[in-house]
Amino acid sequence: MELELRNLQKNFGQKEVLKGISFSTEGGKAFGLLGRNGAGKTTSIRIIMGVFPADSGEVLIDGKPIDYNKIQIGYLPEERGLYPKKKIIDQLVYFALLKNMDYKSAVKSVDYWLNRLGMSEYRNKRLDTLSKGNQQKIQLITTLAHDPQIIILDEPFSGLDPVNAMVLKDVVKEQISKGKIVLFSSHQMNYIEEFCDKIAILNGGKVVLQGELYDIKRNYVRDKLIVRSENADRIVKELGKCCSLTDTGEVKIQLSSEEEKQNMMKILTEKYDIDEIKVFEPSLNDIFVEYAGNQG
Amino acid sequence: MKQFSTILKFELKSYFQKKVFIGVTIFLVLLIAVVMFSPQIFQMFSENDTESNESKPVMVVVASVSENTEIIKQSFSEAFTNYDVHISKESLDEVKNQITSQKVECAFVLNSLTSYDYYVNNLSLYDTNTQIADEVLQNIYRMDEMMKNGIPVESVQQIFDTGIEHNTTSLGKNQMQNFFYTYIMIFALYMVILLYGQMVATNVASEKSSRAMELLITSAKPVSMMFGKVIASCLAGLIQLVAVFGSAYLFYNLNKTYWEGNQIIESIFNMPLELLVYMIVFFILGFFVYAFLYGAIGSTVSKLEDINTSVMPLTFLFVIAFVVVVFSMTSGSVDNILMFICSYIPFTSPMAMFTRIAMSTVPIYEIIISIVILIASVIGIGVISAKIYRVGVLLYGTTPKISSLLKAIKKA
Repeated sequence: MELELRNLQKNFGQKEVLKGISFSTEGGKAFGLLGRNGAGKTTSIRIIMGVFPADSGEVLIDGKPIDYNKIQIGYLPEERGLYPKKKIIDQLVYFALLKNMDYKSAVKSVDYWLNRLGMSEYRNKRLDTLSKGNQQKIQLITTLAHDPQIIILDEPFSGLDPVNAMVLKDVVKEQISKGKIVLFSSHQMNYIEEFCDKIAILNGGKVVLQGELYDIKRNYVRDKLIVRSENADRIVKELGKCCSLTDTGEVKIQLSSEEEKQNMMKILTEKYDIDEIKVFEPSLNDIFVEYAGNQG
Repeated sequence: MKQFSTILKFELKSYFQKKVFIGVTIFLVLLIAVVMFSPQIFQMFSENDTESNESKPVMVVVASVSENTEIIKQSFSEAFTNYDVHISKESLDEVKNQITSQKVECAFVLNSLTSYDYYVNNLSLYDTNTQIADEVLQNIYRMDEMMKNGIPVESVQQIFDTGIEHNTTSLGKNQMQNFFYTYIMIFALYMVILLYGQMVATNVASEKSSRAMELLITSAKPVSMMFGKVIASCLAGLIQLVAVFGSAYLFYNLNKTYWEGNQIIESIFNMPLELLVYMIVFFILGFFVYAFLYGAIGSTVSKLEDINTSVMPLTFLFVIAFVVVVFSMTSGSVDNILMFICSYIPFTSPMAMFTRIAMSTVPIYEIIISIVILIASVIGIGVISAKIYRVGVLLYGTTPKISSLLKAIKKA
């Protein structure tokens, strides 16, 4: 199954929120939707879910306009919240019923997930008696209980302790392996790097960068070296302007071109006591800052 | 449709799980039970009590001037059945002392048959003793004078005992009878619409502020959500009304014999059935008009604290409608021009038209026009409210201005 957004545009009043968003992702893969606050992520997600229509452009499933009667979407909103004063089982079943499940299978599925996430003991408790992390898990059940084909997770890891983050990771990996389309939106780049094969970075309502994460990193100009050495201070002093010390005490050397790489490595190893030399590959964080840094 | 019924069930269930809802209903039913059983309870107590004058306050009549002491005592005793009447020849100061020491409640000091002084410790707002005394003394004086002029005692007695017979036949409706039940029903209408309407607003706003809305809006259609909520609270209100009025009717029938002769209570429970039907029709339609608007307003509020100020204009409108209706009712002219106009405006017609139907004679075509206008308004307001709702629930931050909201609705 393939989900494709084709040239989505949306205005709120005078404000152009989306200026032609296009990307596509397929089942069995996780897609990272990145962008700073206000870049248009939530608006894109809401259009995908049919909360409101786009002014122009299309949301397609396998090339055809999405049919919400056939395609189920599971959504974990960034702003978490359910009914604080209601029994957990009641509201979970309610949300499953709203997603067109029948009562029996709704209860069955909710119980399965409560058990899976280790929350069965809270089944008949009120939501506001739970800790924040546990409330998050309850919210995750509303996303998954109706077995959706498309799963949209907005900042899924915020507020989770490492153990719960592990549980969530397992669940997400399992969903991906089941061939579902998983859409990630997060500011925690390490998680995106861990899960996502493809990403799109939004800035000011436009896609400024998209593609396979591996390709993006490889295609980056390889004209920087990272050197770990006991003589770091000396290197910086003697090589001058093109060098700088990183936070971790390594030397970052800017080359005039990619071809100079071999030459420079040779000079360094001959002249100094070197522990490690590598070509600098940007982290997703670096890429993000570069592309989304200046909001246009 | 399935979504709608899911929402309806969920919302209705949450009303019945609310302790306040159950508590208030039980309290009202108990209160009505106490009122309805009160004559029976009073009777039980008064049967144990032997009849005594001890509890009655003492009234002293100082009649040193007249030779008619017997007649005076008899007449005053008859006229003031709530008092233990004593005839005394004590001095004024003594009487005053007795009053201030509260042995005696009040005293009439007769100067002649046509002039007296009234003494009382605290003069109540509702003290009508002097009016009664005026009448009593007037009669004594007249009898006295007539007898002095040689008219035989029997004739005098006869002349004074002559009563006037009269019959009143109301060809339309009798406002004496229907005033109380109309008042009760209008008040019930007012309370339920106001309470449950505001509950719809709070309900929507709290879903928004707890961010459950984020999930709801992606799971259900705004129209189903709006209608589910409004109809659920309408049903909850109706059920509460039925519980309260139903138990009142039941308790009345259990105590029917004790209430015989009490015109107010009898008139309330003998109200015509058709009026009950009108009541339900106007309740449901009126409820929808307000609940939709309350829901729409609730959806524009981000924080629960803001809800009171936002619903104020609507609540104000409703209170004004109530005041107009009650004012017209108590003034006795429910067919005045204001009421006539109000009975066609959807915001006021549920109460105004209902009052006119109950207390006067309204041609059937007027009723139909009013109901048709109401139904059309309910549909219109429902559609507009669902649109506001759809736009409103996604807006966070400051409460939007009406103008920007209208723009958003146009687009939606």
